[in-house]
Amino acid sequence: MAEAPLISFQQVWKTYGEGEARVHALAGVDMTIERGDFVAIMGPSGSGKSTSMNIVGCLDTPTKGRYGFLGVDAGRLDRTRRAILRNLHIGFVFQGYNLLPRTTAAENVELPLIYRGMASGERRKLAMQALGEVGLDGREHHTPAELSGGQQQRVAIARAIVTRPTLLVADEPTGNLDTARSHEIMELMTRLNADYGLTIVMVTHEPDIAGYARRTIAFRDGQIASDTLQAEAA
Amino acid sequence: MLLETIRLALRSVRRNVLRSFLTLLGIVIGVAAVIAMLTIGSGTTAKVRSDISALGSNLLTVRSGRPASPGQPPVRSNRPLEDKDVAALRSHLLGARAISGASQKTVNVVSGTESLSVSVTGSDTGYFDARNLAVIDGRLYSDAEIRSGANVCLVGETVRQQFFGAASPLGSTIRVGRMSCDIIGLLEPKGYTGFGQDQDNVVMMPLTTFQRRIAGNRNIETIYVAADDATPTSELQTRIEDIIRDTRRITADKEDDFNVRDMTQIADAMASATSTMTGMLSAVAGVSLLVGGIGIMNIMLVSVTERTREIGIRLAIGAHEKHILIQFLVEATVLSVLGGLIGIAIGLALAGAASLALSIPFAPSLAVVFMAVGFSALIGMVFGFFPALRGARLDPIEALRHE
Ligand SMILES: Nc1ncnc2c1ncn2[C@@H]1O[C@H](COP(=O)(O)OP(=O)(O)O)[C@@H](O)[C@H]1O
Ligand SMILES: [Mg+2]
Repeated sequence: MAEAPLISFQQVWKTYGEGEARVHALAGVDMTIERGDFVAIMGPSGSGKSTSMNIVGCLDTPTKGRYGFLGVDAGRLDRTRRAILRNLHIGFVFQGYNLLPRTTAAENVELPLIYRGMASGERRKLAMQALGEVGLDGREHHTPAELSGGQQQRVAIARAIVTRPTLLVADEPTGNLDTARSHEIMELMTRLNADYGLTIVMVTHEPDIAGYARRTIAFRDGQIASDTLQAEAA
Repeated sequence: MLLETIRLALRSVRRNVLRSFLTLLGIVIGVAAVIAMLTIGSGTTAKVRSDISALGSNLLTVRSGRPASPGQPPVRSNRPLEDKDVAALRSHLLGARAISGASQKTVNVVSGTESLSVSVTGSDTGYFDARNLAVIDGRLYSDAEIRSGANVCLVGETVRQQFFGAASPLGSTIRVGRMSCDIIGLLEPKGYTGFGQDQDNVVMMPLTTFQRRIAGNRNIETIYVAADDATPTSELQTRIEDIIRDTRRITADKEDDFNVRDMTQIADAMASATSTMTGMLSAVAGVSLLVGGIGIMNIMLVSVTERTREIGIRLAIGAHEKHILIQFLVEATVLSVLGGLIGIAIGLALAGAASLALSIPFAPSLAVVFMAVGFSALIGMVFGFFPALRGARLDPIEALRHE
């Protein structure tokens, strides 16, 4: 028996509002993402990229259709079960970094481990290690206000990988960064994908950022417009 | 995990010191008032008990008339107690250590240009024994002086200070009302009663002198009887009633027109009255705890709103609803317990100051302190629950999009 794909959408719909104001953010999406893949999601604004990211990241559930994550029907799980799934298997990187203010880098990175009930010594050790992996040795005790945008996004990535997740969900991770910083972040993500087999699903507007991925899925009006492997595109 | 959460809560309180303090004011005032009230109350109760036991142990008093008691109307009597009642008790009552008639009146006392309003008591010598009064300088009046109604008196410490400063009053003459009398003795100081009455602002003189020169009649207000160690006061009370009924010729079908009281019963009644009163005042103070609780609720709602994004982050990376709930509940509880602790400190300080001012014992109770801490914690949990629940129920996507 073949192993279930990491992510599988089967006719996923997400509908907001009622009657006249009804909006189909996703209108029958079918897609499969295997473990270890590096996928870029593209498409115009309002095409349903963030909506699909939220479902992929188990933050949200489809209105209709099935979302399978690790073979589990994640769309039918309750809030607490999805929280457990996120804590165990998913790391998030957002456009706006979303670090806790007035809280040191190390404490931010430790956060997901606290909800695993891990002892503080162990937590600190893993946080230091993750900060090292993203190239932030020596910045453990800096608060977000004392770090540049690129450094803050590295802290966010460290926080996402400190739990050794299966999947990294990144919604426009380079949206707030200049070109040089964006490429540094993408090189870091490529390395994490290569070194740990970390599956990455990333939303981006910029084609050269999408170029770091192995596969690009383009959304339009809540549906998949194209799904291309990088080799074909090149 | 809990320790972690408490540390987090303390940090958030520290970040907004002024706001936290203002929020806590309700709890602080409420707890301070309750603690001060209960501490002063138990001090007063202790003081009342010790005052009354200082009146004399095993002391019974006989007075004319009978106040209302449950199910019975009061009996007014225009028949005062008389010398013959005292005489009858002296000759027939068994089991008494000391017996004395006494009358009291507040009178203006004058010496030179100074004057003072003083409680003047006329009594027999037995009064000193019955009420544990001691003469520390000079002497008590003699039986001869009592018989002749001599113009002699003893003064309390307050009277001495008013008229003689540090000097000895012995041998001096003061005017008590319209009579002048020679001071033959100084009474041992007794301080204030629990009701703030100065027990040293007194002049004592023979009952006969008092009747003739101060009261202008032969009435006796109160007869004091102290039981000896072998006789229970209840038994002595019955014997006194029998003798007085006899001297006042009250027939078997008539009610007593006098009353015999056991001072220890009065002590109990007064102590329980004091504690009822402080209990009621504390309940009123407790209302401000409610106000404090609403303050906590308000600030926690503000806190949850301000930190919506933080909640979103925590939920996204795997916090359960219950983690968020506990985080904010702990924060509310830490906040209100902090208020409780400050309130306890202020309340005890107030009670300490009051006990100095009223010269009552400072009687803090560990149980009351623990209760106050527990109660503040409870208020934090109760009033913090709704805001915490609100935070915990947030949709992580909405919360992350906040601001
Ligand atoms: N919470 C919501 N309520 C109502 N409409 C929403 C909500 N979230 C998204 N939408 C709508 O769904 C569509 C897709 O949104 P989104 O997935 O955020 O697009 P993208 O990320 O590709 O810009 C848009 O038309 C948007 O207005
Ligand atoms: Mg978007």
